[in-house]
Amino acid sequence: MNFPAELQYAKSHEWVKKLDDSTVLVGITDYAQKELGDLVFINLPVEGDEVSMGEPLCDVESVKAVSDVMSPVTGRVAEVNEELLDAPQKLNEAPYEAWIAKIEGVSDCEELLDAQAYQEFIQQG
Amino acid sequence: MSQLKRTPLYQTHVDAGATMVDFGGWEMPMKYPTDIVAEHLYTRKACSIFDVSHMGRILIDGPQAVPFLQHVLSRNILPLEVNKSQYVILPDERGGAIDDAYLYRYEEDRYLLVVNASNAEKDLAHLEEQIRPFDARLTVITDQWASIAIQGPKSEEILLTLSGGQPITAPKKNALNTLTIEGHTVRTAKTGYTGEPIGYELYVKSGDATWLWNRLVELGARPAGLGARDTLRLEAGMPLYGHEFGVDQEGREMPIFAVSLAKFAVNFVPEKGDFIGRAALERQYEEFQRFAAGDFSKIEYLPRRIHPIALLGRGVLRAGMPVYWEGKQVGYVTSGTMVPYYKTEGEGDQVTLLEETGMRSVGLAYLDSGLPEDARVEIDVRGRRLPGALPKRHLRSNTPPYAIPELCE
Repeated sequence: MNFPAELQYAKSHEWVKKLDDSTVLVGITDYAQKELGDLVFINLPVEGDEVSMGEPLCDVESVKAVSDVMSPVTGRVAEVNEELLDAPQKLNEAPYEAWIAKIEGVSDCEELLDAQAYQEFIQQG
Repeated sequence: MSQLKRTPLYQTHVDAGATMVDFGGWEMPMKYPTDIVAEHLYTRKACSIFDVSHMGRILIDGPQAVPFLQHVLSRNILPLEVNKSQYVILPDERGGAIDDAYLYRYEEDRYLLVVNASNAEKDLAHLEEQIRPFDARLTVITDQWASIAIQGPKSEEILLTLSGGQPITAPKKNALNTLTIEGHTVRTAKTGYTGEPIGYELYVKSGDATWLWNRLVELGARPAGLGARDTLRLEAGMPLYGHEFGVDQEGREMPIFAVSLAKFAVNFVPEKGDFIGRAALERQYEEFQRFAAGDFSKIEYLPRRIHPIALLGRGVLRAGMPVYWEGKQVGYVTSGTMVPYYKTEGEGDQVTLLEETGMRSVGLAYLDSGLPEDARVEIDVRGRRLPGALPKRHLRSNTPPYAIPELCE
């Protein structure tokens, strides 16, 4: 599994990429996509939605089940990756390119781990 | 919690990296590292193998084996010749299903009944109770035998290589045979649960299971798990006990004739005599026949029926989702998922599968009898009402060697 050093990671298995002081990109980690299995649908958040840290951001569906993706930050959805609607498999194939949402006006944030700490966290199971 | 049971192939699945799950009290592979979508597609284009050793296997013999089976099964078994098999239902007195099953006649005087793993204990208790007045005997051989389903366009070719050219079965659906392959006894059946025009189910002694599995993999078959087994059967529109048979959302028993496949699995011919559930089934059948003639004036015994359903909007159908037509609820989804398919080119007999694939959400739904065939329904998909259609089928299986997807516009 791959965990790029330039990203930060939430214990609920999302990655966060800081674009500036109050704007981030959010996606799911390589570990998350492997655990979820083939993703066949994503119910994207809506631009303008206010999201809260630790609350659902959106949901993804595998052949077998629906799973929530949690928001690691509090803020407002500025943009969503609509490409994923027709190609949810990109979440499996390239989880760090397949960003889900750009969130701006970030006012609060989960305690995030760096790549090494996240890797240790998932190894502890 | 009681210990989960394991098939003779358990270690083979674990070694192959399978994700194991509890299914009907058995520790079974849900998927292999290839994952469900790839396993589904490989079945449609080439050939997959499935460990179905968890299913309940019961032998029935004795002087009154036939009258006993006539009493507990929905179908007339007198026409079942040696080396033939048939789909059957175990009805209850109310015309509901205790289980659906397959009955095989490999030997003149012995029948093999294969039942759902999750119902095996219940079925056995029922059969033991019912067999008392008959001079016949039940023997459970679930642990002594293993079963592997091999399904897909390349399955016959692979088996012919393995058998050294011995025919696998007669060419007809439901045909059986017993072969000796590389010194092992292999009972074969031209049956399956995937909708593939070419596919077999194989029975071997438990000790021979890994030999057969590994040989099939060497010859080009790939393992597929219960996840793909479910998406394949759903695309093929085949019922699963607990979803399309059993009790509905409100806890009411679903009538057997709610599943249209039942018309092949229930007989009222005089030589069958009385059997469990006969009177209730006759009442259902009367309405079933009127429906076929377009008469829905009486829907007392078949208020709802199982019908294929396709989602036209973006999302995934799941069991339990309500279905609406003209603003009112007309039923619910009994099974639903997203399935992959190969795009096709050409029409009729000339149709071929392309390399390009797509995804679609298909399911089965339990819907009010009398809905128009072309009804445009709406499905409540997690709070959003999305458009859906009621196609005749999701897949065409009479087009060997390939099953052809039928899409809704």
